[in-house]
Amino acid sequence: MGFSFVLAVFGSTIAIIVIMGFLLYYFAVDYRKGLLGDTNSALPKTESNTMLSRMRRELSFSAFMMDDSKSIGIRYIVTSIVLFFIAGLAGIGMRLSLWFPNPSFLTPIQYNILLTAHGTLMLYGWAVGGILGLTYYLLPTSIKLRKDSLGTVSSIMYWMYLVGALLLIFSKSTATWYFYYPVVDQLTASGGGSYSFGGLIGVMLILTATITACIIFLKMIFIDRDKSIRLSSLPLFAWSVVSTAFLIISSAPVSMIADGFLIYDLINPIFFQGANGTALAYAIMFWFWGHPIVYVAVIPAFGLIYELLPRFTGTKIYSYRAGVLSLLLLMVLSGTVWGHHLFNSGLGTVWDLIFSTTSFIVAIPSAMSVFNWIATMWVGRVRMSVPVLFIINAIIDFIIGGVTGVMLGDVGVNQLLHGTYAVTAHFHFILLGLTTGMAFATFYVLFPTLTGGRNYNIPMAKVHFYLTSIGTWIMSGFWLVGGFAGMPRRVAGYFGIFQTYQDAAAIGGVVLGIGYLIFLINFLYSAYKPVETGTGNALEEEAVA
Amino acid sequence: MKLDNRTKAEVIWVIAVVAILSWAAVSNATYLQTHSENIANPVGPDPQGVIINVTGYQWAWAFQYPNGTISTDKLVLTNGTTYTLIVSSKDVIHDLYIPEFGVNIYAVYGHTNQITFKPTKAGIYLFECVEYCGEFHYEMRGTVVVT
Ligand code: HEM
Ligand code: HEM
Ligand SMILES: [Cu+2]
Ligand SMILES: [Cu+2]
Repeated sequence: MGFSFVLAVFGSTIAIIVIMGFLLYYFAVDYRKGLLGDTNSALPKTESNTMLSRMRRELSFSAFMMDDSKSIGIRYIVTSIVLFFIAGLAGIGMRLSLWFPNPSFLTPIQYNILLTAHGTLMLYGWAVGGILGLTYYLLPTSIKLRKDSLGTVSSIMYWMYLVGALLLIFSKSTATWYFYYPVVDQLTASGGGSYSFGGLIGVMLILTATITACIIFLKMIFIDRDKSIRLSSLPLFAWSVVSTAFLIISSAPVSMIADGFLIYDLINPIFFQGANGTALAYAIMFWFWGHPIVYVAVIPAFGLIYELLPRFTGTKIYSYRAGVLSLLLLMVLSGTVWGHHLFNSGLGTVWDLIFSTTSFIVAIPSAMSVFNWIATMWVGRVRMSVPVLFIINAIIDFIIGGVTGVMLGDVGVNQLLHGTYAVTAHFHFILLGLTTGMAFATFYVLFPTLTGGRNYNIPMAKVHFYLTSIGTWIMSGFWLVGGFAGMPRRVAGYFGIFQTYQDAAAIGGVVLGIGYLIFLINFLYSAYKPVETGTGNALEEEAVA
Repeated sequence: MKLDNRTKAEVIWVIAVVAILSWAAVSNATYLQTHSENIANPVGPDPQGVIINVTGYQWAWAFQYPNGTISTDKLVLTNGTTYTLIVSSKDVIHDLYIPEFGVNIYAVYGHTNQITFKPTKAGIYLFECVEYCGEFHYEMRGTVVVT
């Protein structure tokens, strides 16, 4: 009985998905014709896709059945925002459960599942997915793309990314986003989770999609951009994509190989076993990508700040050359610092010295960019608006995150802070303030285009801004103080002496959650108002109406 | 070569940043040189002071003293004595963290690390495991008693 019931539910779900797919396909064909007109939609796919990717485009589910760059971009944008909200719920859940020193409404296993889901979905689903989305969406207009090819490949890669994200949600892995050996190969709920390899496969699918998309971006920029754009005047956003793409292509494969070894070790443990290798070998291969991914999450946000600031200050960027130099230096240097995550693992004094020194050096190009932005605002006249608030907040949060990063890069300080909430504070300042902040700033800039001529409600957007900005400060601020007092991260319960910091941070988490909820309400409320403005946006002046 | 004002401001900023970072790098290198026994290193030929063998396992810490006795989740030390912890793991990766003494050292299966320190004040301090190691990771914690 039970079995046939399950089968019936499963079968009808599949049937509904297939039927919806067909319906969507027919809508999409019409939608595409509507955008292009009858004559143009009869053109070969590459040509018509090129026209589509140079036009203004609103959000539509038809994008899931079309494969021009703009549609792929919309797919990633929509999916990554959904994943952001899922992972955010997990984050707030963890925060609330930590209200009391002993595990409260989450058991340790449930806490660890949420911890893993939050880390992996935020980084691979939201940061990476959102960046792919914005790049697919903005790059064609920014470099006046001449030839939009490889749509089928991009489309397949998107579906792989989606399956990967679903695996991350449903694998219930408890191995954290490191997937360290040997925890990950303990297939029990109290080890890495019974299906932790599902999470690994999810990560590998997403990385495959990401690497392929990056190769396509490089092709767009170096081969298919309009001839009128010389490399010496390539928009800074495109330069940030170049930097990110090379960084991903040169480091992600190492981590994927390590993931493959892990899966093989499940069947036949030979790679990271004590007798033949060492568990630390996995950690080293992981961090070879684990550090670059955090820069992958910020460099495109740098590019967006570079692109948006001139439009809101009425001047050119302070120094274009310094901007390009900074982005390219970040690409090269952030490949050399990964050892700073393993200072206390027994790398030894000499390696510690090398990696701490490179960590200090990588701060130089970051500081160059910060200077460039502040100088641009100084020289120009800043027109206040919601995106500008996000930009200013992003710069401040990045400075805090950068300074704490340099502190963590000092071996002596790292001994006191490694494994504490100070690390969590360091990266949430940047990932919430800069990465997430700039994604939402861009979303607000694109709002009239994405919704086909509606404006967002400005007071509500301001409330969203202030709540998320203040929430980040409260949450990460108290984490930082707690971290200096020795409060460990990744724990489902803690010593009672830390309760003040934990509770204050929980309040910050709730404030953040309310902020994002207001964004959601604002979006739903504004997107269905009657059309009131044009569909243009500041980032895509050249886009065809 | 003549720089315009814009570039001048830029160059001054970079020089200032480099100066601060150089100071950080030098003080870091000095620390490493003078405290190399005080940071985690693979086990070396002649450890100083009293040797305590530390084993992390899911989910507790065992401390073995020179006389052979073992204590779990409680480390007992004498004020003013130099100690070297020899740290390893029975299963997954752990990380012993004693903030009071700046001890932060991974416990890895099949790999032994060491760290040397000297308590200078009697009291009761905390230690924690700070490398995620499974369900009861958060319970891998305890106290250091210095008498
Ligand atoms: C100014 C340059 C930076 C330096 C010198 C730096 C340094 C460090 C160091 C030393 C750690 C290791 C802390 C530990 O576990 O002991 C760390 C962790 C981390 N950093 Fe940074 N950082 C910098 C910028 C960034 C940026 C821009 C991001 C992007 C969001 C970032 C994200 C992270 C993350 C996510 C972790 C923790 C990873 C984990 O253990 O889960 N950092 N950083
Ligand atoms: C919506 C607001 C957010 C809240 C309330 C939140 C909360 C948390 C909490 C409670 C933890 C676990 C701390 C621990 O037990 O060690 C955590 C870890 C983490 N968060 Fe967030 N977070 C938020 C946003 C983000 C964003 C936007 C990103 C990245 C883009 C991010 C990336 C991470 C990562 C990588 C970890 C580390 C996971 C691990 O240790 O394995 N978080 N966050
Ligand atoms: Cu790093
Ligand atoms: Cu442990």
